[in-house]
This record gives sequence, C-alpha cells and structure tokens, in this order.
Amino acid sequence: MEIVVLIKPIPEAESRLRATPDGRGLEPEGVKFVLAGYDESAVEQALLLKESLPGSRVHAVSFGPARCEETLRAAIALGADRATWVEGPPEGSDDPVLAARALAAALQTVPHDLVLGGKQAGDDEEGIVPGAVAELLGIPSFGYVTDLRSSGPSGLTFLRPTEAGVERWEAPLPCVVGLQQAWNDPRSAKLPNILKSRKAPILKVDWPTTSKALALEAKPRSIGEKFELPAPRTGAKMIEFKTPEEAAEKLVRLLREEAKVFP
Amino acid sequence: MTPTVLVLAEASGGLLTGPTKEAIGVARTLAGPDGSLAAVTMGGPSALEALAPFGPKEVWVADVPPEAATSGAVAALAAHAADESRAAIVLLGGTTFGRDVTGRLAVRWGAAAATGATEVAIAGPEEVHVRRPVFGGRATEMRRLVGPRTVIALRPHAFAEAAASAGTPTVHVLDRSVIPATEGAARRRSLDPAEPGSGPSLSDATIVVSGGRGMRAAENFHLIEELAQSLGAAVGASRAVTDAGWRPTSFQIGQTGRAVSPQLYIAVGISGAIQHVVGMVSSRTIVAINTDASAPIFKVADYGLVGDALTILPALTREVRKVRGLPAN
Repeated sequence: MEIVVLIKPIPEAESRLRATPDGRGLEPEGVKFVLAGYDESAVEQALLLKESLPGSRVHAVSFGPARCEETLRAAIALGADRATWVEGPPEGSDDPVLAARALAAALQTVPHDLVLGGKQAGDDEEGIVPGAVAELLGIPSFGYVTDLRSSGPSGLTFLRPTEAGVERWEAPLPCVVGLQQAWNDPRSAKLPNILKSRKAPILKVDWPTTSKALALEAKPRSIGEKFELPAPRTGAKMIEFKTPEEAAEKLVRLLREEAKVFP
Repeated sequence: MTPTVLVLAEASGGLLTGPTKEAIGVARTLAGPDGSLAAVTMGGPSALEALAPFGPKEVWVADVPPEAATSGAVAALAAHAADESRAAIVLLGGTTFGRDVTGRLAVRWGAAAATGATEVAIAGPEEVHVRRPVFGGRATEMRRLVGPRTVIALRPHAFAEAAASAGTPTVHVLDRSVIPATEGAARRRSLDPAEPGSGPSLSDATIVVSGGRGMRAAENFHLIEELAQSLGAAVGASRAVTDAGWRPTSFQIGQTGRAVSPQLYIAVGISGAIQHVVGMVSSRTIVAINTDASAPIFKVADYGLVGDALTILPALTREVRKVRGLPAN
C-alpha cells in the first residue's frame, strides 16, 4: 500500500505562546516546532499499516515554511520512506484550504492508496485539510477515525465515534483519513535513525511551482487578524472546610450563586 | 447587504440536534431582518418536519440514509443547495458530521472556511470575521474570511439554541445524481448507539466530571460516575486512568485524547500536567479536587478543594442531588 501521511509542525505543548508584534499571529521566534498530537498518531498508524502489509511505503508530506523540513526528518527517523516539503508562500499563510490545494497539487504526482492525516492540527485545530484534499483529489474522506484496519488490497475498515454512538465503516481505497487515534501510542525514534534522518534527502516542491498550478487559487482567503492570549488565570479560589459535607455545600453554593454554572 | 444564510441541518429521532438549533440562531442573526434563512438536510421528510417550525424560507431536502452519508456525498448535495439558494454563508453545527463536511464543502463550493467558531460577524460585502479558540483553548484568534462565499462550522455550546418560531418553507428536493460515483463504495456497516441513560457524550456535555490517578483504583471510579449522573454530566479521565486501563481511551481528555470546553469542568484527583490541561483549559469554570495543595491543576482552576476525593465525592453527590431535588441514591 502506498501511504501518504500529511504532517504539520506545531509548537511543543510546553511552549510559551505569544503574539507577533503586529498582534496578528503566533510569534514563532523562540518556539520549538515538532511533530505532535494527532499528526504524530497519523505517522504511527501509517507505520503500523506498513508493517502489517509487506511492500508498503510511507511518504510524509508537509506544507508550509522551512521548518517543515525538520518535522519531515522526524517522520523519517520514525520510519517514513520518503518525504516531500511543499513550500508555502513567502509571506506565509495559515489558510487551511490553501494548504489543502497545495498538498493536493503535489499529490498529483505522488502515488497514494491511502492519505492519512491527523483529524486536526494541534495548533489551529481547523480539521479542514483532510476533507478538502479528498475533495480536490476526487476521492472519499473520513475524519475522526479510530481503529483503522486494512481489509485486503482495496479496502479499509474503521470506527468513528460520533454524538450518536460509535460507527463502523467499510471504505474503498484510495481515500483520505483524518485520524483521531492510532492503535498504539506513538513510538519514539531510535538514535541511529535520528542521525541517519539528518542526511536523508527531502524532495521539495517550491512555491513558484505550486502557485503556478493553483493560479487564481494561490491567494489565502482565511487570514489571521488577531491572536489573543487570555489574561493568565490567577489561580483557584481555595475553599476552606472541616468536613466533606461543608466542602460540598460551599462548592455547590459557589457554582450556583457566583459561577452560575450549576444545572 | 441582505445575505441568504444556509444551515446544514441535522435531525435525530424527529428533532433537530442542539448544534443545528445553535446554527439556526446564528443564521437568523447574520441574515438580519432583510436577509433570509434557508436550510439543507440529508434526513428526508422527518428532518424536514423538524426544520419547518424554525422558520427557514426555503429548505433543500435529500433522503440519504446514514449508512451512505459520507462527507463527500453530503458536501456535493449541500454545495448544490448553496448554489441554488444563492447563499453567501453556509453554517454547520459543531458535530463530528458538520466538521467533517466543512473542508469538502469549502472546496466543492469554492468558499473560504473555518471551524470551531465562537463568534461570527459580517464585516463587509465579502468579508466575514470569526473568532475561534486555538491551541486547545490556550489562545483565541480572529480570522478574516474573504470572498463571496464562506463556510463556517460553529463550536458546540458557544451559542444559544434558536427557539421554534413558525413558517411553511418552500421545499426543494435535491437530486442525488450530484453525488460523485466514487462515494458509492463506502458504507456504514453498524452503529453502536451511545448507551441511553449513560448521559451526554464528552463533546456534547455542558458539564464534565473527570477523574485521575487520585482516584487510586478502578473500583473507586464509580464515585466519579455517580457525581456525573447527579449533574447530568459526561465522564472524562486523565491519561493515567486510561493507561492503567481503569477506563477506555475514549474517556481520555488532553493532548492525545479529546479536547472539551464545557461550562463546568470538575477535575478530581488530577494533578494538572500540561498534556491534560490543554484538553480542558478552555472550559468556562474549572473546579479542582486534589490532596496536594501544590498541584498545578489549582493554577488553572477557578475553585479548589484540597482534600481526599474519596470522602469529598460522596458528600458532593449527596449535596447536588439534594439541591436539584433528585432522590437520594
């Protein structure tokens, strides 16, 4: 199976977030961007499928600025066979539909039976890219997927938790899957593989090529205007009590009368 | 400007879902007195009946069985309705279904798109502004969506549900031939329904009660469930709990689990590691119960109780039942 896994570098969970001086976006300076969250699960799932289906290959693809290369190397260190960086516009863009258009254009020449991604990126949490890529490629797509299994050479089965319950689906290949959870917790890369990945070749699709392919669609239509951090929480109001009953009574009163969130 | 705002409506058991009623409320506001509300649904006659009292002028209806309602099929039909209604904005409820359709519909219909919106405002003839939480609620962003067409999925619980008004919509039946042939081979084989009486799902719940390592053993977790039941809340867990196998991973809240943003989040015996906090910090009010007064959870909580969960929980459940007038357990 030819598996493409779409990944996006996102700030480490522990990063301190702050806005750029113009207040429009996240200040990338001083932030470590990593492969994390649902994308990390997508890479894990791609590798698990590859291991269970001899002859499969995993191709990691990332759209955006130069920091994508580092994230692609992380995927290679974990076991991806190839990597492609689809360069973003020089002025930057975080329009997920534009990202999907650029990725789908690059995938025209990349064999893909299964295109896997996280159900959403851990930073902007849009969840738009998997479906939009599928629509552009003209193939089915399924988001929020867990327990993804191959069911022979041309199909998949998976579960999807929804508000109504857990759905079980059968889907044909090729298709796009936005993954909620892999079978396993993501593995860690081994040191020799990390060292090897530093020298691994990364294919590059430059922005002029993409922008030419997209023509009029190469302009972002979703534009970050203001990035705001909440006033830091000042810490909890501590409730003093002598007995559990007193604790319960005081808390319920505060939730009813002060926070007004009691049902 | 007098825009038509089209809502992709979902019904279940002959009633509109909460997120759909939220979307109708937003659509009415955006359309204003001069614009109009339209709707599209895949749910056939029963969904149409559920929709009519909410006052859309026109409804586009398809009868797509849930077994075949792939995001590709739904996006094709919804894009067709969006074209015919000459809508400027399509709104979707913040459900798995709604969010899954958003990206495809945006491409199919040629629109700018955003999900998880907590505010939506028309800023000009071809510009809509949305506010949305990002980074698990650690920050918010305001985005400009530019162009004549916009698709927006809302964040659940961020808006009030619309009340039924009145109306007899003009009904258009959608032609299923617009569904691409490639969608035909995918099939939903079964639905394991959320257990009735098991309370709301994590993403639907306005209250979440979550347990962590401080519950000490799987046998004690029923105390979390009993409090949740008394509040009509969903049950969540920290990674320590799902890793230990006390509860399945579907309960896990945090970076590798679900992100929730209920009105009230009660964290019991959870220390507050950043991996957990990113999944719940955007909750409106947070209560922490923990034996360790220096636990980081108290930094993100609004109300803190230092004490043993195993003694506080039963008392809290009794108090909640008393105040809500529920029979004692």
